[in-house]
Amino acid sequence: MAEYQNLFTQVQVRHAPDPGVGIPDPENRGELAGFSGLLGRIGDAQIGPIHLGWLGILSLITGGLSIVIMGLVMWSSVGWDPVQFVRQLPWLAVEPPAPEYGLSIPPLNEGGWWILCGALLTTAIGLWWCRMYTRARALGMGTHVAWAFAAAIWLYLVLGFIRPVLMGEWAQAVPFGIFPHLDWTAAFSIRYGNLFYNPFHMLSIAFLYGSALLFAMHAGTILAAAKMGAEREVDQITDRGTAAERSQLFWRWTMGFNATMESIHRWAWWFAVLTVITGGIGIVLTGTAVDNWYLWGQKHGLVPDYPEVWADPAYPVQPGELEGPWQTPPPEGLPGLDTSFRDGGILPGTDIRLTFADVALNAESIR
Amino acid sequence: MKKQLLILSAAGALLAIQACELPPVETSQLGFRGVGMEHVANPSTLQDSMESVAARIPQLAGSPDTDMVPAPAGTWENVQYLGHLSEAEFNRTMLAMTAWVAQETGQGCNYCHVIEDDGTVNFVSDDIYTKVVSRDMIRMTQDLNANYPEHVGETGVNCWTCHMGEVLPNNYWFYAADGERDLERYYVNEGARQTERYLLDQEAIRVISDQALTGDTENTSSIQDTEYAYWVMIQMSKDLGVNCTYCHTTARFSDWDESPPQRVTALRGVGMVRHANAEYMLPLQGEWPDNRLGPMGDGPKIQCATCHNGAFQPQYGAEASHATEWPAFQILGPPHDGAGTGGDDGSDDDEGEGN
Repeated sequence: MAEYQNLFTQVQVRHAPDPGVGIPDPENRGELAGFSGLLGRIGDAQIGPIHLGWLGILSLITGGLSIVIMGLVMWSSVGWDPVQFVRQLPWLAVEPPAPEYGLSIPPLNEGGWWILCGALLTTAIGLWWCRMYTRARALGMGTHVAWAFAAAIWLYLVLGFIRPVLMGEWAQAVPFGIFPHLDWTAAFSIRYGNLFYNPFHMLSIAFLYGSALLFAMHAGTILAAAKMGAEREVDQITDRGTAAERSQLFWRWTMGFNATMESIHRWAWWFAVLTVITGGIGIVLTGTAVDNWYLWGQKHGLVPDYPEVWADPAYPVQPGELEGPWQTPPPEGLPGLDTSFRDGGILPGTDIRLTFADVALNAESIR
Repeated sequence: MKKQLLILSAAGALLAIQACELPPVETSQLGFRGVGMEHVANPSTLQDSMESVAARIPQLAGSPDTDMVPAPAGTWENVQYLGHLSEAEFNRTMLAMTAWVAQETGQGCNYCHVIEDDGTVNFVSDDIYTKVVSRDMIRMTQDLNANYPEHVGETGVNCWTCHMGEVLPNNYWFYAADGERDLERYYVNEGARQTERYLLDQEAIRVISDQALTGDTENTSSIQDTEYAYWVMIQMSKDLGVNCTYCHTTARFSDWDESPPQRVTALRGVGMVRHANAEYMLPLQGEWPDNRLGPMGDGPKIQCATCHNGAFQPQYGAEASHATEWPAFQILGPPHDGAGTGGDDGSDDDEGEGN
């Protein structure tokens, strides 16, 4: 009984590494490596055989290069200071080019690195997808995993490529960085009038939460019926054992309806895949067709008209006081100061020209 | 092993609790039901903060001269903005300013006024830069009280509102150097610049469209523009110790009809800060000694937190921070009709000189 209620795999069997099922091309199977007791606590203890192939190797090279370049760009942004790199890492970013560059290729330091990292990362992901597909085929399996992965790649491409191209500027894309990409998400939602009112965002959330719910229900059911052999769930698609019978009666009792041992996996697969498909549709429509989702929601009866509950300001609002232009990139230079950092500048009231070192030193002494 | 784990997790839990405020936290509904318009406050934290503000207030002798007759011509020399005061009120104001601003220096009058070799005080001279700066700051305070009632209200402000007994008020700011911004401020360098510009220029901050469909609006603000706006807003929220709902309906930040009236007050405050920076702080650029300059060589400037210090109302509305007891700061005072001016410099940048 107790072994079904444990967080960890209780029993690890040691034997010669299992090469797996027979395949038509056994030379291409990969090297057997051995066992890891620690990994065996959460999964199967056997490590390998790993098949990389040229797709895997190229994918690791391009992906690794992308990550290394991101790291170097971030490191250079703190003046190659190793301590600051570690301290500030969550806030550091590889930003896409500024809006004025449109879809052109800017200098490396003004967004070029972002394009390079993005191209390398996309190549790596594409190669990895091919690998998922060909490996599944090599085993004579279906390609469900590859197509689910492709759905996620759709959302990735919408965010970083398809939508920026439709909008006509790389600046619309997501930066690389831990907090920067989250800040992008917040800014994106604010700019387009609150993404929560985007119906495709709603669908995506429903499928995402639905995926988690299905995952919990299914995993809970299988674990609960494990002592009757429920882990052989796929066998029981055609040969229902007592575990399947009991599980299905459980759900009929509690919900009146149940999945089959097969259909529960179809439910889960589609919920997961639709999360990113609908999400991608919602993103691709934002800014290209819809500029303010809240107003769109009001237009289509999604948002009620809330009553105005606020008092007027004590000093009445003057005509035009609350209106103003849209924000655009700031002009060059700083008010009251005839200098910008890149050129060095004149220290006001003197004719001393500041250099990078002066400015950095001064900043240091003030701190 | 198990014991060590227990001790470790207990220590971890203690550390985690350190990061929390002591409950209870009070939540009050501000707007229409169901729209998330709530104000969250911790009464005991607020109480502590208010008490620490109150504890710093200096005890000043005397009360305002109610039947004030301006001092007769020739009483003082080189008094440019306080000509409407009687001699008693003038002296009361000067003593108060010493307590409000220069207390910590222990220099008394000498913080601004020159002491001659024979030990007498030369009140006329402008040789110490602090006197020139103080004069412009007096003018600024008068200006804000006279011309921005829609932000400073009926109460107005005085030196104590920002200075709180210190030579430099808290939360003044400089242009950050690029290197410094990378290390100390934030990762989007241009965002820092945008915030700086926002407090100086008529830099726009609107990014959210007024129309549902892209084809119907002139708005071309980028995601980057939005991040700048977001930055400015978060800065303001920290400056005032409030969250977004103090001024905005969260479902729709841009809509004025669904915004609390505080948002209009805040907007007018932004205009006031820009005015104070443009008319008073930037023109003082030539006066500052080196140790008052920032990393880019610019003088100090004002932001919301300079007066607010993290409170929704400066000093939580304490009377000591008001202008009501101080006739010196209630109007744009005229120059005193003195014989000549003793200053040899420092007035060059005073735009309001002679008013």
